Amino acid sequence: MGSGFLRRVFALIKKEFITTWKDPKSRSIIVFLPLMQLIIFANAATMEVKNIDMAVLDRDKSVESRELISRYESSPRFRHIYYMDTEVELQEKMDNQEVQIGMYINNDFSNSIKKQNPIEPATLLIIGDGRQTNSSAIATGYASQIIAEYSQEVTQRRGTAIDAIVRNWFNPNAEYQWYVLTIIVAMLSVVVTLILTALSVAREREMGTFDQLIVSPLSSFEILLGKTITPLVIAMGMACLMAAAVTGIFEVPFNGSFPMFMLSMFISLLSIVGVGLFISSIANTQQQAILYVMTFMMPSMLLSGFISPIEDMPEALQYFTYLNPIRFFMKLTRGIFLKGIGIEEVIVNLIPLILIAVLTLTLAAKTFKSKLE
Amino acid sequence: MINAVEIRNLTKKFGDITALDGLSLNIEKGKITGLIGADGAGKTTLSRTIIGLLVPDAGEISVLGFNPATQKNDLIVHIGYMPQKFGLYEDLSVLENLILYADLKDVPHDFDKMLEFTSLTTFQNRLAGDLSGGMKQKLGLACTLLGNPAFLVLDEPSVGVDPISRRDLMRMVREMMGSETTVLWSTAYLDEAHSFDTSVVIDKGKIIYDGIPSALGATAQEFQDKVIELMGGYKEEESQIAKNYRYRAAEVDLTVEADNLAKRYGDFYAVKNNTLKIKKGEIFGLIGPNGAGKSTSFKMMCGLARPTEGTARIMGIDIRTDPERARSNLGYMAQKFSLYGTLTVEENLEFFGAAYGIGILDRGKRIDDIMEIFSLKEYADQKSEDLPLGLKQRLSMACALIHNPPILFLDEPTSGVDVRMRRGFWNHITSLAKKGVTVMVTTHFMDEAEYCDRISLFYHGETIAIGTPAELKEKAGATTMEDAFINLIKESEKQ
Repeated sequence: MGSGFLRRVFALIKKEFITTWKDPKSRSIIVFLPLMQLIIFANAATMEVKNIDMAVLDRDKSVESRELISRYESSPRFRHIYYMDTEVELQEKMDNQEVQIGMYINNDFSNSIKKQNPIEPATLLIIGDGRQTNSSAIATGYASQIIAEYSQEVTQRRGTAIDAIVRNWFNPNAEYQWYVLTIIVAMLSVVVTLILTALSVAREREMGTFDQLIVSPLSSFEILLGKTITPLVIAMGMACLMAAAVTGIFEVPFNGSFPMFMLSMFISLLSIVGVGLFISSIANTQQQAILYVMTFMMPSMLLSGFISPIEDMPEALQYFTYLNPIRFFMKLTRGIFLKGIGIEEVIVNLIPLILIAVLTLTLAAKTFKSKLE
Repeated sequence: MINAVEIRNLTKKFGDITALDGLSLNIEKGKITGLIGADGAGKTTLSRTIIGLLVPDAGEISVLGFNPATQKNDLIVHIGYMPQKFGLYEDLSVLENLILYADLKDVPHDFDKMLEFTSLTTFQNRLAGDLSGGMKQKLGLACTLLGNPAFLVLDEPSVGVDPISRRDLMRMVREMMGSETTVLWSTAYLDEAHSFDTSVVIDKGKIIYDGIPSALGATAQEFQDKVIELMGGYKEEESQIAKNYRYRAAEVDLTVEADNLAKRYGDFYAVKNNTLKIKKGEIFGLIGPNGAGKSTSFKMMCGLARPTEGTARIMGIDIRTDPERARSNLGYMAQKFSLYGTLTVEENLEFFGAAYGIGILDRGKRIDDIMEIFSLKEYADQKSEDLPLGLKQRLSMACALIHNPPILFLDEPTSGVDVRMRRGFWNHITSLAKKGVTVMVTTHFMDEAEYCDRISLFYHGETIAIGTPAELKEKAGATTMEDAFINLIKESEKQ
């Protein structure tokens, strides 16, 4: 039975590759989706931010503070500088997103500069909008740069430094622009895998070839295997390419271990394949399959921690996110990529994914059969 | 004006393919004209050009005094057109479909008579998608007949429809048409065509016969033979497929058995107490009206549907307990061309060869052999979806036979296939049976039922008659299989 099993599964995998590639729909998903994503992110997620609006609360109102602010006014990157009188006003401006960053200059700013005490330098607070991690990080970066330049000039004249403290409001632990890019790697492989697998059985059902498969000696397990391995290989390949692009083109550092990254990818995508195949096994047509994919994608993206942190969700929803494979997938990609998390944390996140994969794949195999009426 | 349609030197090309080649034809007013031809002969192109859906490349055409190419909007209100697959809205009920088409045609909502004689009155609130194939066609025809169009163009309305529903379709048209109504009816059923006023045989885009059917043959059978002759004739040759077939399976006396098979949906039995014992080398036909349960029985026997009760055995192997091994003895061919369209001919054969367990070492030779036998060599690298219907059918058969199965399951294998090709197909099947292959087949063509050694007639989920074609005809007191079918069903209805 052993060689017969391999022969049949191999034949199925080969057939899957050919049909996936020759079907114009699935081919465009493989080729254009990643390409489009790359182009969009290469342009939209640019590292350059222009037209920054800033709100300033100047408690010092000294020559020094005015000089510093005037440098912002003359910088081409900054558009409007709003002068605030109270902290409440500053808060409001930030709240309404009328400005991207705020600056708070304390009333001892000029004194500290004049004192030239290296232990207690003049301090200055820059506030970023943590809701927009990417642009906020860049804007605060520019703001700090201007302060650094000014500080250097001051130092040359008087020999002291200004210490700029950067705070992010609304999302105090905001990570850097890389955050979004690493998520894209996960997101893209999720979307591609889901669509490819969701279409695969539904397409065969529409064409009538699924009946042909069922009357052949292929068992449901063998069909499942053939239908799992092909999209898994494609998605893994694509994820690697995207990861290479993210590190190569956008220069996001890769801090984790590569084998661990591959292992996490493999298991995460396996669970997504399970979801996709389950969707495909209950859908009668490709149209239905796509609708089910949408229905699954929207809430699971929202509940993945991509858009808002899971800790901020209502408690009931937080428990709900444990059912969501994308949640763990995101955490793993981000963690391995940026933080280089250790094996223990990887395993903790892999266990739920394995459970989800086993559950969905079993369900899919069962549904293949029970769909036989 | 005695002609509803006058066509002179009509030519229509699609790329390199000439669909209509200088065709000239008159269609008489007030008559039913049957349009007959092989697949790809140009029947559908002609119908679509007549009603203005296609614009001809050259030639003159006049329909009811209008030029369909330029006066389509004036013409279309006089035409009832039923395409091969009529656009019923499956999520609307029967009545809602009628209302929709009445509104589209701007005719009053007066459906009582229409519902009555389509016998759809009791089903008027059922969703169109839940109707049987025969009832769908009747509803489609009813929608086409709304507003009493002066010219009916019907493109193979009776494909996949059982004999009783076919007679209903014919009766509907005959009763609804007035003395001035013209009908152009294309069909693959030559008994149907024989009953029309005029027959037009089209071949390679040209008219090769135009006249009264009885002038070709006094009986439907003679008519059929003559038409085949006109279409180039069919020479019965030794089937190469059967000649190269080697029976390698174990010697089992009863190759296919159904043991009290039943399929229940809630309280409703789609199939009940179905017990069959089919011997090696037998051709066994399952016939019955649309929705009678023959398809469900067929599916349960080959493992496509799960029986609620009972079981089936293939070569003595239980399909429920050991499905993979039981199925490895099957060759399966379905009505729809169900191979991988994006795969080439060779890739399809390779896949099915491997799926049926032919080892990699033997496979190359086996595929070579089978392409040779089926004359598929020259198409080896063509995508199978681009092949003409006849070749697709041949490829389906090649895939079904690649592993030399002792049993063949054929589900309406000739639906929508022209008469000449059907003859060739059945030559292979009967020759294979002589070599020991057991064949299980469902069909709506009653002339094909004659090829079967035994037939089981299904009605309301049960076998109401079983026996050789001669026995069934005798039992029903009929001379043709079609009459036997109808009589037996009517008899069973009385009880």
